[in-house]
Amino acid sequence: MIITTTAIVEGRPVREYLGVINAQSIIGANIFKDFLGGLRDVFGGRSKTYEKVIEQAKDDALRELAEKAQSLGANAIVGVDLDFETVGGSGSMLMVIASGTAVKL
Amino acid sequence: MKTWFGSYISAFHAGPVEATVLAVEDHITIGYRREDGTTQTVRWNLIDITAVFDKSQQATIITSDGEKDCSLLINGKDATDFILQMQAEQQKPWHKKDKTKEWLRNLLIFLAVAGILMATYFLLVPWLSGKLASNVSIKTEEEFGNAVFDALDLSQQQDGEATVVLNDFFKEMEIPTGYNVRITVVNGDVVNAFALPGGNIVVYSALLKELKTYPELAALLSHEFTHINNRHTTRSVFRQLGSRIFLSLLFGRFGNVTAILADQADRFKSLKYSRKLEKEADIGGLSLLQERKIDHEGFVGLFHHLKASVPGSAMPEFFESHPDINSRIDYIREASKNSLAEDNPQLRAIFEKIKK
Repeated sequence: MIITTTAIVEGRPVREYLGVINAQSIIGANIFKDFLGGLRDVFGGRSKTYEKVIEQAKDDALRELAEKAQSLGANAIVGVDLDFETVGGSGSMLMVIASGTAVKL
Repeated sequence: MKTWFGSYISAFHAGPVEATVLAVEDHITIGYRREDGTTQTVRWNLIDITAVFDKSQQATIITSDGEKDCSLLINGKDATDFILQMQAEQQKPWHKKDKTKEWLRNLLIFLAVAGILMATYFLLVPWLSGKLASNVSIKTEEEFGNAVFDALDLSQQQDGEATVVLNDFFKEMEIPTGYNVRITVVNGDVVNAFALPGGNIVVYSALLKELKTYPELAALLSHEFTHINNRHTTRSVFRQLGSRIFLSLLFGRFGNVTAILADQADRFKSLKYSRKLEKEADIGGLSLLQERKIDHEGFVGLFHHLKASVPGSAMPEFFESHPDINSRIDYIREASKNSLAEDNPQLRAIFEKIKK
């Protein structure tokens, strides 16, 4: 499975467009990560705990996207776009939306 | 996640079909199209599959225990390495999930963490706040107290004459202290008095009118003085600040239900601490009276006046910043069983000046 943000895959023309697909992952950072992240907010510096959470949410969203493409019989997803948002009452949950076009190369 | 292209070989198909393979932590999925154009996805659990690198074909051959007639061929050794690595990872004890054990382990982790957080909130934060408060200089306390006093803007209501006499009364009590204690009498209907950090004591004229004997005034001033001398306000401010910072780190910006509950619980904790400080001020004030052989019944009289000023107050002690009046009387009487009292003509004379 080729997953790319570009509209085409060089040297491999698209034989079939299988439709726009999307997947999302909403993930809570948990109370301890929020606590550690809060400390980082006070003292400054990079928050590795939140970075890992975002990374995990992105991986989950891309995995789900690939599974959807696979179920459509695609062997590539082109034009992949990732959006990052916060959701929940206090914005404590992170949301990653991955979208793209499932294609057969 | 890893992806490859491969060939899926199955007894149901005439020959190998082109497939996409996705590998995640515990399984692989194989997607392919049947001869009729429909798509099919097959899932193989990682623990059920065998991945072997075939040198002659320079390809990875994957088979599953569940589907013996099928195999998957992926060019290169990359898939073999990845699958073997993931299978080794799956053998690690924390991946072997026993539902009951997992539930028990999560419960224990939750309890341990909750215990650590509770200990931090109830022990560490107050201890740290107390340490910080004890390092605040008297000068800083005075500046803070004066700023609050100025902000209250009591100068218009001040009773200058009574203020002078009350300061004389306190000086006559000869209480040694590093603080510059300044007492201000304020005209007002409130039967109350309070102390600010650094040495300011404010007494309302309504309370002064209620006092019948000089030991009652001595009790009032020694109580308020103990608040100042023991840095009660400074300690309270640091404690509340520490608690607030801890809770806001834990629950965010007090926007949700949990945060509101935590906020209310913190208020009750503050009230409990306030009652503890009031008791400390009562007992400390009583010691000052005992050292000067002033009648401890002054406290009892003072408490009766305070009680009479709020008739019908039926709030449980839990919601109050001060201990219940009856229990205050009880512990004062208990602590002064063998106290000796003598008449102090100087204090009595100054008190009579105030009453005039």
